[in-house]
Amino acid sequence: MTKFLAVGAILAASLAAPQMAAAQSETVKQIEERGTLLCSGHNGSYFGFVEVNDNNEWKGLDIDLCRALTTAILGDPDKNQIVPLSWAQRFPALQSGDVDLIIKATGWTMGRDTEQGLQFSLPYFFGGAQLMAHGDLGVTEAAELAGGTICVEAGTTIERLVANYLQTENIEHSMVSYESAAELRSAYLANRCDAFAAWGPFLAVLRATEIDNPDAHVILGDQLSAEPIAAAMRQGDEAFVDVVNWMLAALLIAEEEGITSANVDEMAATPPNPRVARLLGAEPGMGERLGMRDSWAREMIAAVGNFGEIYDRNLGKDSPYKLERGLNNLWSHGGVLYAPILD
Amino acid sequence: MTAAEQLRARARYRRLGIQAVLVIVTALAVWGAVTNAQYNLTRLNMTSGFAFLDRGTGWNYSFSLVERSINDPYSYTLFIGLLNTLFVGFICIITTTIFGFLIGTLRDARHPALNFAASVYVQIFRNIPLILQAIFLYAILIHLGGPRQAVSFGDVAFLSGRGVMLPGLNVTPTVAVAILLASLGLGIGLILARTTLWRGLAIWFGGSVAMALFAALVLRPEGEGILSIPVLQGLRFSGGISVPIELFALITSITLYGSAYVAEIVRGGLAQVPRGLVEAGQALGLSRVSIWSRIKVPMALRSIIPPLGNQWIFMMKATTIGIAIGFSDLFYITVNAISQSGQTLELILLLMLTFLAINYSIAIFTNWLNARLKLKEH
Repeated sequence: MTKFLAVGAILAASLAAPQMAAAQSETVKQIEERGTLLCSGHNGSYFGFVEVNDNNEWKGLDIDLCRALTTAILGDPDKNQIVPLSWAQRFPALQSGDVDLIIKATGWTMGRDTEQGLQFSLPYFFGGAQLMAHGDLGVTEAAELAGGTICVEAGTTIERLVANYLQTENIEHSMVSYESAAELRSAYLANRCDAFAAWGPFLAVLRATEIDNPDAHVILGDQLSAEPIAAAMRQGDEAFVDVVNWMLAALLIAEEEGITSANVDEMAATPPNPRVARLLGAEPGMGERLGMRDSWAREMIAAVGNFGEIYDRNLGKDSPYKLERGLNNLWSHGGVLYAPILD
Repeated sequence: MTAAEQLRARARYRRLGIQAVLVIVTALAVWGAVTNAQYNLTRLNMTSGFAFLDRGTGWNYSFSLVERSINDPYSYTLFIGLLNTLFVGFICIITTTIFGFLIGTLRDARHPALNFAASVYVQIFRNIPLILQAIFLYAILIHLGGPRQAVSFGDVAFLSGRGVMLPGLNVTPTVAVAILLASLGLGIGLILARTTLWRGLAIWFGGSVAMALFAALVLRPEGEGILSIPVLQGLRFSGGISVPIELFALITSITLYGSAYVAEIVRGGLAQVPRGLVEAGQALGLSRVSIWSRIKVPMALRSIIPPLGNQWIFMMKATTIGIAIGFSDLFYITVNAISQSGQTLELILLLMLTFLAINYSIAIFTNWLNARLKLKEH
């Protein structure tokens, strides 16, 4: 009898399995029970990505992506909590469940993907190491820095990238590295070094806002690397990775199709093509396959806009930093961002 | 067996028992810590061991006495860190001892203005944390401006926010290190040969200078002078000796701080010299300099050496603040190697053993010096 029951249970389980695959992710379930999404913040401001404004509110590209995900899961962009974390704290905090995911200028590396037990979403941003030099030196590329001194933050991937690049290009130089970012910045500004090596977007933002006279500093043309920036999640919840990937995909598709926060309701009412209809939930399919509401993408775009709007607001033309989109544009506009196929 | 013998035997067993328990508890604690670390490393899938020492580092750092490249293995890079720490440590020990004696003597002097100045110095530099002094000094120095704005001293020496440029002998850094080592060897030889202090110093100084000049004459590049003078070329100075500003700031701040402590040790030692001895010197009509060098200092040294040895050990440990101002001492190199390789436990262990070995050597030297200077009649 018990044998029969056991066989029956296994049969039932195997029959139920196809439906289980479409079922909700564990993490999403926890988020819904909690009623809040826990996102990663920064210990201070990482300008353009995760920063605190004068009213003590978080803003930035990464914060907006967190708000987008919050809307997708919980239907309200404000139902999230930003947990301030230093760079070193972010992975332990994710592993111990202090945050649900990390969206914070985090590069996809092999070590993180394997040894650290993480999994990454689609890359949503590309930025690499670059050099910024004092303008009065009259240099425009790294080769002209021969004989100069370069400052860099100790113990980072940038440190190795720069050393590697300068050796490849055979540029003779001295290197001074500092443990603290503040020490590094003040040493560069005090002219201890001719050039400052860091993540390109960070240099651009620093130059635009934190330095008294932006024209006195030049970001050199050399691209030392291109790091894919992606959201990091705990290994083992594939369904959650699907949710985050399609959140990013929906933002990109919306930009491709010209759907903005202003016209989203109109587009949903009279979709110009089947892709838009499916994306905005006018046709079923968008929600069920992820275990969410059909209208999640429409609500999300209404709350935060498409990817282009998010970029322009935080880094691009509507922000103080005025960063060109460059690589971070849609493939159809000369960038490298693309969405998977919405079928 | 008498009752007394029985009691004595029992006391001995008790002592042995307590010792045995202590040994077992210590062994268990060490074993527990090691297995616990091993278990956790395996659980977290982290690799342990010293294989990483043979891997190339791929990163650069600010200062090295010998040739280096980013392809060097971790072991060689750590060795350079050790050289840098020893280099800064020994320079600081020497400068601190000289300045400390000078200021300590002034503290003991009867001239009120000198005495007051020395007291102010000691109170200021002894009571501000070393790391704060180092960062403050470094911040001032780097704001001096780039090489093109350098302060010139007669067009042969320059000071800028990048470093101090001095005219030097026209030899490669490796030869310079060899000369320094030879000079150190000569000094040790003279101490072992028990030459008198002033004579020994004269021979050491003369010998070192002669060696350096000879090396420069023989080993200088074809067709160039003995002296190499710094000249501004493009983004930096070339020629001469270039002392990076980090090294300069580190040595200066450790010297200023350490001298204040040594001065107090010296003052204490001088104050312990019995008045009668000084008065005896005065009665013999000895000059004040003679009384200082032949009576006070030799007598005071006996109480100065043991605390001075502690101070020397402290100087060596103080080099670790180099990390705060970007100087690549052993601690800096180790911390960077930890970030880049992830081998935390192994690197910390190496760092601790190295410092233990350096400082234990200094302690042995101090004990030897103390034993040698002890009054034999006592």
